[in-house]
Amino acid sequence: MDSQAQPGAQSEALSQALDRLWVRFLPEIMERVAIIEATAAAMAAAKSSQSERENAEAAAHKLAGILGTFNLMRGTALARDLEGSFKAEDDRVNGEYIASLVARLRELIQSRKSSS
Amino acid sequence: MARKILIIDDEDDIREVARLSLESVAGWDVIVASSGAQGVARAAEQRPDAILLDVMMPGMDGPTTVHQLRNNPDTARIPVLLLTAKVQGTDQRRFADLGVQAILFKPFDPLTLSSQISGALGWN
Repeated sequence: MDSQAQPGAQSEALSQALDRLWVRFLPEIMERVAIIEATAAAMAAAKSSQSERENAEAAAHKLAGILGTFNLMRGTALARDLEGSFKAEDDRVNGEYIASLVARLRELIQSRKSSS
Repeated sequence: MARKILIIDDEDDIREVARLSLESVAGWDVIVASSGAQGVARAAEQRPDAILLDVMMPGMDGPTTVHQLRNNPDTARIPVLLLTAKVQGTDQRRFADLGVQAILFKPFDPLTLSSQISGALGWN
C-alpha cells in the first residue's frame, strides 16, 4: 500500500466515507428494490412481461454487486437468490417467492446502521 | 510515484466506492469512465497503469472493451482486471480466455481492493 495512514485510523476514515456514499446512493438502491417488488407483484398476478423480468433480474444483479461492498453480505446473498429466481417456470408461485425474498431484502437494507 | 488507475463501470455506486477505496487506502490517482467507449478513449488519453473494468455494461460490454483496448497500440499493453458479480464457473472461464490479468469479484472489500490489484499485478 502506498498510503502512510495508520491502519486503524485509515479503516475508520474509510468507514465514515462509505457511510456518506451509502446515504448518497440509498435512493438508487431502493429504486432497484422497487423494480423487483413491482415485477414480483406482476408475476404473482401472472401479468409480467419478459422485459419486466429482465429488468428485475438486472436490478437484482446490481444489488448483489453493491450490497456486500457496504458490509451487507446477507443482502448480496438474497440478491443473488433473487437474480436466479426470475428464470423459474411457474410465474405465479415464483412471484410469491420473490416477493418474500425482496421483502427481507428491503428490511435488511433499511436496517443498515452507520458503521461510525 | 502514485499509480494511476482507470475504473470503467456504468454503475455510479460501484465506481464511487472503488474510487474512494483506491484513493484513500492506496493513495492512487483514479480516473473514471461510465461506459466502455468512454473508457477506451480515457485509456488512450491518460495511459493509466492499470484498468479496472466492469463486465456487464450496456452498449460496449467488458469483453468488447478489452478487445478495443488490445487493438489500439496505445492501450494494448495496459493491464486489465475484470470486475464482475458473475460467480458461475462458465462465466469465469469465458472471462479468463480474454487474456486479462485478473478477475475480481463484486462485492469487493473497499479496505483490501487495492491490495488485491497490487497482488494480481505484482506491485507489492
